[in-house]
Amino acid sequence: MKATADLDHEDTPKLSIEKGEKNMTDAITIHQLTKTYLSGTVALKGITFSIKAGEFFALLGPNGAGKTTAINIITGLANKTGGDALLFGKDVVKDYREARALVGLVPQEFNVDQFEKVSKVLYFNGGYFGLSRPERFNRIGRLLKDLSLEEKRDTKFRELSGGMKRKLLIARALIHDPPILILDEPTAGVDVETRRFLWDYFRQLNRQGKTILLTTHYIEEAEELCQRIAVINKGEIVALDKKQNLLALLERETMTLHLKRKIGRIPKQLQKYHPQEQDAIITIEYNPQKEEAQEILDAIQAAKLPLLKIETSRTTLEDVFLHLTKK
Amino acid sequence: MNLTGFLALTEREISRFLRVWQQTLIPPVITSVLFILIFGYSLGSRIRDVGGVSYLEFIVPGLVMMGMIISAYSNSSSSVYISKFQGNIQEYLVAPVSYWQIILALTIAAVLRAMLVGISILAVSYWFVPFSLHHVPVLFYFMLLTSLLFAFAGIATGLWASNWDQVNVFSTFIITPLTYLGGVFYSISSLPLFWSTAAKFNPILYMVDGFRYGLIGVADVPVVYSLMVVFVLTALFFILCVQWFRKGYKIRA
Ligand SMILES: Nc1ncnc2c1ncn2[C@@H]1O[C@H](COP(=O)(O)OP(=O)(O)OP(=O)(O)O)[C@@H](O)[C@H]1O
Ligand SMILES: [Mg+2]
Repeated sequence: MKATADLDHEDTPKLSIEKGEKNMTDAITIHQLTKTYLSGTVALKGITFSIKAGEFFALLGPNGAGKTTAINIITGLANKTGGDALLFGKDVVKDYREARALVGLVPQEFNVDQFEKVSKVLYFNGGYFGLSRPERFNRIGRLLKDLSLEEKRDTKFRELSGGMKRKLLIARALIHDPPILILDEPTAGVDVETRRFLWDYFRQLNRQGKTILLTTHYIEEAEELCQRIAVINKGEIVALDKKQNLLALLERETMTLHLKRKIGRIPKQLQKYHPQEQDAIITIEYNPQKEEAQEILDAIQAAKLPLLKIETSRTTLEDVFLHLTKK
Repeated sequence: MNLTGFLALTEREISRFLRVWQQTLIPPVITSVLFILIFGYSLGSRIRDVGGVSYLEFIVPGLVMMGMIISAYSNSSSSVYISKFQGNIQEYLVAPVSYWQIILALTIAAVLRAMLVGISILAVSYWFVPFSLHHVPVLFYFMLLTSLLFAFAGIATGLWASNWDQVNVFSTFIITPLTYLGGVFYSISSLPLFWSTAAKFNPILYMVDGFRYGLIGVADVPVVYSLMVVFVLTALFFILCVQWFRKGYKIRA
């Protein structure tokens, strides 16, 4: 597989910023954001992207890529070193109060008072975001119901199971019904059933109009939920595109020919497809947009190989991801 | 301005210590009663009047200040440290509340706890030794500013501390010794010249002495000095807290 140097064929937000326009329909605008921790670790090397209102966007990357760092800067938990982060045009540093009111954060780590009751956690957080008491009680009832936590209303945080703790973090992020929801690995440590349930819930929130920024290293999660995906690695965005384009860009099918015996030499009919031979297995990679599978099959037949079986497989987003981040 | 956010945080901070009132409000009162029984009654009966008042009456203001200092300090230092440690400090760092609102909420809770403790000690002491309130505004000034000062000092220590021992270092090695040496149990005028001069570098002396003036009208240091010293120290610690919160010292990477 050959890497394409520039995978980002969209208009990046830096263009609109450089022209001095503030695109008000962008829910999140990140421009040349850099972060160097006091320890000297360079966590972000100038990342740029923007997320439209109503979009479901994934920031996908391996451990230590800088995902949480980016989110912490957006939500006021970390100081940026350079660049800008805006939420609906509000600067997260200069207009921090307006910006923070627009976003709910589900953090990667549990950051809740261990001894506080579920309903009290939500009650106080609703207050911090300026909700009146009746509004808070209203939202608490609704969220506990939506997330099936009603029975745990009076349970202390530390007495919840891991999955329930995650759900409480989600309820807490939604207490003030923010237009932007940021999910930092929201399904870490939950069982399959709960994960499916949460995915449905996120999709439902997105349909109701919430802009969602999801970070994950589960490719399946990004593939399942998101419309666009940015791949981040070592503090840099290495790819950003619609999910389908990201796949198509590196789309490959692989045909694997299992032979009865080793043949030692690639038959000339197959040479134009650059096959790889190892023991009694020949693999042919091809781009289904350019080459016809039938054509290859005909060539195989013409070569009269001692075939045992033929398998084909498609690249997954996982392969794309591994390919992009292995450098 | 997000007044609701500020009030919610204040409510949370107050409920935090009221939830465990047996541990937060009662112990300092018991300690004071023990001091009154030991020093006031058994040993104090052998000590002659200090500056024209009975020994028991002399030590009550110091005991009140001691209880208030520890209460204000423990409340804000433990609140900040524990919420930093558990991570729930992030709940209000991501919320649309400003730094000064956070500081104010933490401070109100610490001052309230100190006031409740101070008034309880006063009330209990009155039962042992009835006193008249000599100068109420001065008395109130020292109660308020001392609790403010140690509320701010507690916030600063809570931010600075990387482990629980460090929270205690400040109270064990600074607050407690300075309180005992701060003229709670003796008048510095009874000390040899060197030591009475040295004692004047102890800030707690001014709180105890000024408060004693407000309560029973006896003081070693002119009360104006004490008023000023306490004011300046409170202002310095306030500025430190504001600076640290603004920068996110040890709370925002
Ligand atoms: N508070 C901090 N102080 C110093 N370095 C930090 C701090 N937080 C993160 N880093 C470093 O910054 C880099 C990016 O970390 P970050 O937490 O943003 O990664 P991530 O993409 O969220 O990873 P993960 O998938 O493991 O959560 C890492 O090298 C990490 O060690
Ligand atoms: Mg992370």
